[in-house]
Amino acid sequence: MAKHIHEIRDAVHVFDHLDSEERKVLDSRPFQRLRHIHQLAMTYLVYPGATHRRFEHSLGVMELADRVFRTITAEENIDNRVRKHLPRGDRLTYWRRVLRMAALCHDLGHLPFSHAAEKELLPKGMTHERITVDIIQSSELNDIWQNMEGPLKARDIAKLAVGPKEYPEDYEHPDFSDWERVLSDIIVGDAFGVDRMDYLLRDSLHAGVVYGKFDQYRLIDTLRVLPGNQDSETPVLGVESGGLESAEALLLARYFMYSQVYFHPVRRAYDRHLQHFLIEWKGKNGWPTDIDGFLQLTDDEVSVEIRQALLDANHPGHSNAKRLTDRKHFKVLYERNAADAKRNRQAAKAVFDAAKEKFGGDKVEFDNPPQKQSGVEFPVRLRDGRIASSMAESEVLAKLPIVAIEYVFVAPEIRDDAEKWLELNREQIIAAQSVEGDEQ
Amino acid sequence: MNRLKRGAIIVSLVDALREHGSWCGETNIQKAAYFLKEVACVPLEYSFVLYKYGPYSFGLTEDLTALRADEVLELKAPDPKYGPSYWPGSMAEFVKSQYQKTIAAYAPKVEFVAEKLGSKTVTELERLATSLYVRRKIETGSEQQWATRMHELKPHILVKDAKVAIKEVDEIIDDARRLAAT
Repeated sequence: MAKHIHEIRDAVHVFDHLDSEERKVLDSRPFQRLRHIHQLAMTYLVYPGATHRRFEHSLGVMELADRVFRTITAEENIDNRVRKHLPRGDRLTYWRRVLRMAALCHDLGHLPFSHAAEKELLPKGMTHERITVDIIQSSELNDIWQNMEGPLKARDIAKLAVGPKEYPEDYEHPDFSDWERVLSDIIVGDAFGVDRMDYLLRDSLHAGVVYGKFDQYRLIDTLRVLPGNQDSETPVLGVESGGLESAEALLLARYFMYSQVYFHPVRRAYDRHLQHFLIEWKGKNGWPTDIDGFLQLTDDEVSVEIRQALLDANHPGHSNAKRLTDRKHFKVLYERNAADAKRNRQAAKAVFDAAKEKFGGDKVEFDNPPQKQSGVEFPVRLRDGRIASSMAESEVLAKLPIVAIEYVFVAPEIRDDAEKWLELNREQIIAAQSVEGDEQ
Repeated sequence: MNRLKRGAIIVSLVDALREHGSWCGETNIQKAAYFLKEVACVPLEYSFVLYKYGPYSFGLTEDLTALRADEVLELKAPDPKYGPSYWPGSMAEFVKSQYQKTIAAYAPKVEFVAEKLGSKTVTELERLATSLYVRRKIETGSEQQWATRMHELKPHILVKDAKVAIKEVDEIIDDARRLAAT
């Protein structure tokens, strides 16, 4: 007789559980492809252990999403002020299944090596989230949703998988009800999204750094759906006051992982070379967006192409393939720092512009990833039942710095010259404020 | 419009909201920016989706974070009830001085929105902004359709309260038209 509940060993959560219906999603072509997409692109060139894939991450996200769902819908945990937002009976069972499948499928649309060059490779308006939505709503997966108890609506799964920020506005019914928004926040929310919880824990484990660890068990046990603030009935994911320290630990983990791993300069430099290689190979807007064409490309195909480009001096990506393979990556010439930023907020951009003029555009790169907010506001239920802002209850959260990184990279062959040049010209470059102003 | 230019308008909005008694938390700024774009037609280029307290722009949140990183804005004095609030930072005057023409061009519209929304609570702002959002989505709808849709999306907004919000937004839209005509 077929086994109804399957357990899969997980390096982070010990076991991930899924039933035979859900197993069909796991065994599907779009999901199996995730075995061949590295979670952290080429971070393994810096942290050799970071070779884990989106496959196991997606399973972990499903496992955590289910734990959060069971916690927030347990009768003893429901706050009466927001009770009317929670469905009951069969509807609750339906939404639990939808949430699990959305969590499992939330990364199906990732391009090879995750975020690398997505903006340039995909046509305008196309994102990996939109591709995720399309795959979830494809006939291949829709057949599975239709045969699941419910049956499940593909659109419900797609909405929770990518959340209101990324769900395409031009698709049918793009607006999220409060309940749908709470559920999508369980997966992709800024405060307690389990996507982030899993990747912090998993990336930390595989990269061999401890920054990403926090007490996930305590945190999830204390998560609640609460009024957004004392005067509001808007349902928002929040935390009991007893879980505030674990929430702090989660957001600290995020801060440290960004500053120490995700924004590591060598990792960022390799990302740039990979982006250039992909664009040189496929051309701008050159990535297939039809589902069949998209699903055929994984990290494996890209890695093979890099090897071929390395051997072929006429390959358009030859130079970047060499930099990736022979570790001839660009090096940091200048990094945003507090002292210079106090004098000129655009100091890094000013150094980049001057270096580009001096050494040429092909030898200099500017990398300024979006700043990451560390402190996040969410409701905290105090022991007497009142709702308070997390930022007021936690000095740690109120004072968490923003992760703001900017690098100017130069080709290794000009690094010594560039450093000498910068030493001579730094004061003059930074003294010139470069805000464009009204006239531009 | 580049980020600092948008930032200059946001700083002027923060100033104006404060003058009209706003707490100036992120929700206050988000809803005011939504009205600034949709009713006062200031080309802020933010895309708004329905989120916790009504229309919300993730792009604006990213801008607010960047403006904090550059000390153009700062977050201060968290209050248990209202949370933290935005204030001009040490670089605010510098940015404003670089974009004087931009700020002057939009000043009447910024003042208009701040005057209409500055004294509103988060709950009131949620109703007003959601009402504007729904009527933008169902352009040919009736008051009843808009109110029903608001209640569907946000069950804690009663239909009768939704109708009151719809009427108030009507008045704001009419006043904005008059302002544009002057």
